Amino acid sequence: MLQGALAGLAAGGLYAVLAVCLTLMSRLVRVVNFSQAATGMFGGFVAVWLVTETGLPIWLGSVLGVLLAGVLSGVIGWIAATWLSEADTTTRSAMTVGPLLLLISLSFILFGNKPQPFASIISGPAFTVGGVVISQVTLVTVSLAIVVAVAVRILLTRTAIGTRLRALSERPTTAELLGIPSKPLSIAVWVVTGVISAIAIVVVAPTQSNDAISLAMLIVPAAAAALLGGFKRLDLAVVGGLVLGVLSGLVAQIDEVSLIRNFLPFLFIVVLLLWTQRKEVWDAAR
Amino acid sequence: MSALIIDDIAVSRGAGPVIQGVSFRLEQGRVTALVGPNGAGKTSLLDGISGVAPISAGTIRIDGTPIEKLSRVARAKQGIVHIEQGRAVFPSLTVRENLSLTARTPAEIDAALARFPELEKRIDAPTALLSGGEQQMVVLARAFAARPRFLLIDEMSLGLAPVVFMRLLPIVSEIAEQGVGVLLVEQFTHLALGLAEEALVVASGQVSFQGPAATLREDASLLHRAYLGGAAA
Repeated sequence: MLQGALAGLAAGGLYAVLAVCLTLMSRLVRVVNFSQAATGMFGGFVAVWLVTETGLPIWLGSVLGVLLAGVLSGVIGWIAATWLSEADTTTRSAMTVGPLLLLISLSFILFGNKPQPFASIISGPAFTVGGVVISQVTLVTVSLAIVVAVAVRILLTRTAIGTRLRALSERPTTAELLGIPSKPLSIAVWVVTGVISAIAIVVVAPTQSNDAISLAMLIVPAAAAALLGGFKRLDLAVVGGLVLGVLSGLVAQIDEVSLIRNFLPFLFIVVLLLWTQRKEVWDAAR
Repeated sequence: MSALIIDDIAVSRGAGPVIQGVSFRLEQGRVTALVGPNGAGKTSLLDGISGVAPISAGTIRIDGTPIEKLSRVARAKQGIVHIEQGRAVFPSLTVRENLSLTARTPAEIDAALARFPELEKRIDAPTALLSGGEQQMVVLARAFAARPRFLLIDEMSLGLAPVVFMRLLPIVSEIAEQGVGVLLVEQFTHLALGLAEEALVVASGQVSFQGPAATLREDASLLHRAYLGGAAA
């Protein structure tokens, strides 16, 4: 059972990376990006196509796929920054459902609806602790989530560009009136989070369900994890992702409840919402 | 000394124009008071100049260069700094971080802080924790650190105790003495006119008086007529 729970850590690391990206997007560019995983999925599929159809080495195909994901994310960011710069978070977030559906449809048209033959970039056990094997994929994704969260925190609190990003996120008009260019900075955030998400997806995809829907819908557990931190706290987003991954792995080991594995992120979201809204609910009940 | 020249501009919001046919010249090194009744269009005029709201007619020039089609970021880089209504601090940023957004060097932060000794002991506190007066000091210090050529100030006194506002007002004069052209929108008309060399009264979206501030200070009936839209420039 412990092995099963720890096996879920690889997925948990992926959820955590995506949750960190979602949190970053929410804090800095005022959007819950529903296409966060879809751009990574599409970049990953293009990487698979480049490797299998054109014979590119895995590393080169993967790099190109990740870069494409960054460009796609940047294009969506450019749309948001150009036409929805004054729109509220709900409108900006709703816009990202369009690219999500477009990328899923496009991947069906170009690559079919079957899982893709992702080749492993990283594979094999990393180390064993008390008879429990920790895979390299688990090690890389969990490390990536922690490194990204720490790096983002350092960037935001210790650098001039981080200060500018925080200013833009709090009062975009005031920041612009001080000469801080919001459009290039916000597009840069979209590109960077697109690249990070794609890296995590390309690393984990060979070990997960990797059809277009499954990968694009990783946004659900990622959003659940980000919700633990209220789409504000990066550390709790990482914790949320890892906990969700471990719970999924654990549930999958128990036949009686294994079916709820697919609904676990939704349960997680409902419980978190009930908990965070408890005061309002109790006040209303009184 | 250069000037910001506003020529026959109109600013529209929603259903129609809220500012129409407004022309004036903002000289560097001078304070111009922009006064008028509530809803006259003072804030819209400032928004049109800084690029917060698009202008639908007219031109805005600095040294003969038209800037009305530039983004608000580009206008800021041309030296126009707009202090919005309310206390426009970035609440989670510390005082130092707020100032670092416009100051190019630590020495410029120090120079801005020199005008506000009250802020020095709170330099690393998030501005959300500061009092209203201190927050407005941060906004003024940040604007000063930006080394503006033209400073547009919208209702600096809003929500501040009069004693705090009186502490800030002389700073505006000092900034102007550094060669900055200041356009001051203020609900305390007599204080604004006391500080300014020039005055502009806007009523119902149009200029109803334009001339020396002293003229309005000394003639209350003229000011009254201008507020009602009836005085000649």
